[in-house]
Amino acid sequence: MKKILSISEFRLAFILLVLMGVLTVISPRFLTFSNLTNVIWSVCFIGILSSGAIYPRITGGIDLSLGSLAALSGILVDLFMNRLGINWIIAIVFTIVIGALIGLFSGFIVAKIKVPAFVVTMAAKTYLYGIALVVSNGGMLAILKPKPFIDIGTGRMLNLPNPIYIMLFMVIASQFLLKKTAFGRKVMGVGSNEVAAKLSGVDPDRIRLISYSISGAATAVGGIVLASLTQQVFAAAASGIELDVMTALVIGGTSPTGGRGSVVGGLLGAIMVAFIINGLNLMNVPAPYHPIVTGSVILMALLINEGNLSFKRQSRATL
Amino acid sequence: MEESDNSDVLLECKHIAKSYNGPIVLDNVDFSIKRGEIHSLVGENGAGKSTLIKIITGAADRNSGEIWFNRTKLPMQYTRKYAENLGIAVIYQELSLIPGMTIAQNIYLAKEPLFPRTRIVDKKKLNATAQELIERYKFPLKSTDLIDTLSIAQRQLVEILKALSQNASLVIMDEPTSSLTQKEAEMLFGIIRMLRQEGISVLYISHRLEEVYALSDRVTVLRDGKVVSVLGKEEISPSEIIRLMIGHRLEDNEVRHSLPKVKGDVVLEVNHLTSIGKFTDISFQLHRGEILGVGGLVGSGRTELVRVLYGIDPFDSGTISFMGNVWEPSVRASINAGIGLIPEERRLQGILASQTVTRNIGITNLDHVAPRGVVQKKTEKKLAYEGIRLLNIKPSNPDALAGTLSGGNQQKLVLAKWLVRELQLILIDEPTVGIDIGAKEEIYEHIKSLSRQGVSVILVSSDLPELTRLSNRVLVLRKGRIIREFKECVITSEKILRAASGILEEQDEKDIINK
Repeated sequence: MKKILSISEFRLAFILLVLMGVLTVISPRFLTFSNLTNVIWSVCFIGILSSGAIYPRITGGIDLSLGSLAALSGILVDLFMNRLGINWIIAIVFTIVIGALIGLFSGFIVAKIKVPAFVVTMAAKTYLYGIALVVSNGGMLAILKPKPFIDIGTGRMLNLPNPIYIMLFMVIASQFLLKKTAFGRKVMGVGSNEVAAKLSGVDPDRIRLISYSISGAATAVGGIVLASLTQQVFAAAASGIELDVMTALVIGGTSPTGGRGSVVGGLLGAIMVAFIINGLNLMNVPAPYHPIVTGSVILMALLINEGNLSFKRQSRATL
Repeated sequence: MEESDNSDVLLECKHIAKSYNGPIVLDNVDFSIKRGEIHSLVGENGAGKSTLIKIITGAADRNSGEIWFNRTKLPMQYTRKYAENLGIAVIYQELSLIPGMTIAQNIYLAKEPLFPRTRIVDKKKLNATAQELIERYKFPLKSTDLIDTLSIAQRQLVEILKALSQNASLVIMDEPTSSLTQKEAEMLFGIIRMLRQEGISVLYISHRLEEVYALSDRVTVLRDGKVVSVLGKEEISPSEIIRLMIGHRLEDNEVRHSLPKVKGDVVLEVNHLTSIGKFTDISFQLHRGEILGVGGLVGSGRTELVRVLYGIDPFDSGTISFMGNVWEPSVRASINAGIGLIPEERRLQGILASQTVTRNIGITNLDHVAPRGVVQKKTEKKLAYEGIRLLNIKPSNPDALAGTLSGGNQQKLVLAKWLVRELQLILIDEPTVGIDIGAKEEIYEHIKSLSRQGVSVILVSSDLPELTRLSNRVLVLRKGRIIREFKECVITSEKILRAASGILEEQDEKDIINK
């Protein structure tokens, strides 16, 4: 038991189960199929985005352009399908490729010109928002066709909303890439000690370029799902989502300084926040109080995950 | 407070003893500095120099003994701040200035002149006072310049000014010239002599004996934590200092130190290799299974040479051939061809501190662990266990985080990353700095056993007994050039140190004549 709990994903799952138990006792409406499905459904967007955003994070950087890029992706896919008349599948592929290229561009500036990721992606957030405004003529566009595209976000399989499957696929694929492949090992290595990784034959610049591209591509997927789900696109559709994604990752045990992290942990983190908000709703706590509770929970999670470990490490380094 | 009788003496340490849980670092050390003298402290790595400095400056506590400063007895424990207020200033090797601020702001940090009855800094006065100080010592600086724009030599001057602004009567300089050019060093020496004229004492620590020779009024020689000798001005000669530093070690009786003749194919051949500003015209051959020691002072180009050979830094001219073919080094190519590197600073360059032992070994061996991109957990674990077993890493837990291991075990881990591979050549830079004697011996055994298995080794070390014990052949670098090669002869630490310090060997000339 102790050993299992030392792995942060299991620790989170355990906390999540306790939380579910408490919520079940508090509200009979909590443990119902429709409520649980709704909660999971509500974190799909964050889950998809974090499956990509975790890569820059583990290399020690950050991607703050997620919200703008996701919105832009929705606007682009609509542009391709409905204004330029391109087949919806090709439109989706185009959009994902563009997302990856935008990520690559940020990655290039971070890796090769050595500008802090925080600054680079902060700027990207703004100019991508601007591009989104221009392409959408500053308006809110409704997407009513084609039918198969709308089905991506609104359809159901086996009585579960499609986005849940897409999210699970993204999270599992990303977790596999991170934990089971040479690439994942290199990402961790770069985040943990770039010089040592380099001397072990890893090319840190290349790893960074790929990491930011993955983040861009996953964000495009998220933007497409969001567009299909809400059937409308506009430049501010996902503004601020990057902070929710970073929150989920941090709760999920992804180190703020790099070198450590888990996609599944991030998803569990997002679900935990969603459960708390759900619980507050079920208890009829007025919405203005929600951020106080979620904020406190984030802080607590951080103290549990980071507190003891990193403080020890820091003090040894300064000796 | 008690008073000492000798008014000529600024600092006096009596019977200082210090041990770090077990090994004795300083043993009954008597040490004194007179007013207005330049006093050098010399000794091999590990002789106890830095510990003595730490005790004097308050960075470490002594176990016993007395320290008198300015005829006042100092308490058993005191802080750096306390020493600073007394007038003991240290010019640190790693400079402690704040880059984004001006010279004046740095000199008077936390001691800024304020407008009367306020907490607002009087900037005009700050700059003017600093400029006055600069002009008093005729330093080539301007008080309003940013630290960022200064060279390392200029930054050192700012550090010195900072000390002077606090009315320091003793300035301690630890290897101040290690990153200065010849010209900058000359300027520093001028300033040190000027400080002496002002009545300020300078405690000078350097491996560069010619500097010690040129500057010092007196020299204290430390060996194995004891004061071996205190030399007056007329007694100082580099040759004598080396003799005293090394002493008569057991090693002279060990058989191993007559360097055996090397046989075997040439694995690595370097011809006229030059990297401008780092090293010049380096040529040597390395045979199969040979351990080639590379000695020299810090900054003589040893580490730079190894970095070029491994493919981290580019070079300007010359050729390298490896296994008979022209070799263009790159880290990736080196690893694939069976060339490994144990870098100089294991914590900064060797290990992934936040990752497990398994991952640390795995990352160098991803070609085996993940041949098609997907990590084979079993292979990775197997490799980790093999590394742990081969090097006897403690704790023997492959899931332990590398950062939690002791220094010796971290170094073993760095070695393990390579020992689980097929190696042809391994470049080892300072393998035993700061690790305990037991781990040291184990690492020596591994280096020897690699050589027996036919792996060639280039061993860079400042630890002279380490070089003489392990090497088949020793190259000594001085100012970026190979100044001497020792082969098929009896080698001693003294010989290496003399060569590294640029002292001609009459003894060897005699040897040659006798042959």
